[in-house]
Amino acid sequence: MEPTDDDEPLGNPADSLALIERERANLVRDIAPDPRLMYGSWGIAWLLGFGLLFLRFGPDGKVFVDLPEWLPLTVLSLLFIAAGVITGVTGARSAMQTRGPSSRQGLMYGLSWSIAFTGMGVLFGQFGDVLPDDRLGLLWAGGLVALTGALHMAGGAIWDDRELFILGAWTSAINVAGIIAGPGWHSLIVAIAGGGGMLVAGLLGWLRRR
Amino acid sequence: MTDGAELDPVIHAQARLRVVSALSVLREDDQVTFPRLQDSLRMTAGNLSVHLRKLEDAGYVEVTKTHQGRTPATFVRLTRRGRLAFEEYQEALRALLNPAPISEEKL
Repeated sequence: MEPTDDDEPLGNPADSLALIERERANLVRDIAPDPRLMYGSWGIAWLLGFGLLFLRFGPDGKVFVDLPEWLPLTVLSLLFIAAGVITGVTGARSAMQTRGPSSRQGLMYGLSWSIAFTGMGVLFGQFGDVLPDDRLGLLWAGGLVALTGALHMAGGAIWDDRELFILGAWTSAINVAGIIAGPGWHSLIVAIAGGGGMLVAGLLGWLRRR
Repeated sequence: MTDGAELDPVIHAQARLRVVSALSVLREDDQVTFPRLQDSLRMTAGNLSVHLRKLEDAGYVEVTKTHQGRTPATFVRLTRRGRLAFEEYQEALRALLNPAPISEEKL
């Protein structure tokens, strides 16, 4: 039943070193969450969600596509819920493959996102009747993107992951650019540069582990 | 030719070298579930168990049987001793590829 040949050593040291690298890469890939799901789901949510917001609520109240007023925010919310579930489940499944300090780090990092966004939502919810609609939209979107950028940079620091840090810094920078440009433009910039940045991050991560 | 006489016999067997290589990815004190390791190594459960037992006997890996809720779960980690043996094994392989001057080796 047990194959006997795998009890034998490989004849050549170079083959052994190649075998070592192959098995190391295999396990890294098998226990890390799929970057296409972790980044891609959010990239698509930002691209479509903020894209629709831009088309309906453009700069200076311009309407590029006459969608029902409720549609962009509803789609954005649903896409965010879907992306949250996808990344939560993917991350949790990955964390369950291992036990120990790394798994705890992952759990704490995942919880940080939920707790931080809940706090932000409670705060911004207080301003619903104080600000005009376009300013209120900018407050929510700008806060959400700023927090996302900050948590990605923190993730880069935790795992010594340069690309994750760059993604976070990039997201933070385009957020500031969008905020200065004003409502409408912010949606466009976040959709293309922010969502696009996450899609690129997911693609690069996936290409590297193939 | 290199017959591996000076290489650690415990991890010189190809299957056990694969197990130790995969486990070396984990950070110290991190453990991986048995099924995930088995999947990643593409070994049968029986085969992996046999090799883990030999590595455990050498003090290179630690196998922990526990429960996640009601389902039994087995976790595997590389011990400090196993990591050291693995590093020395890799050093030995590299030395075989790039031999030091003979005069030094004889000393």
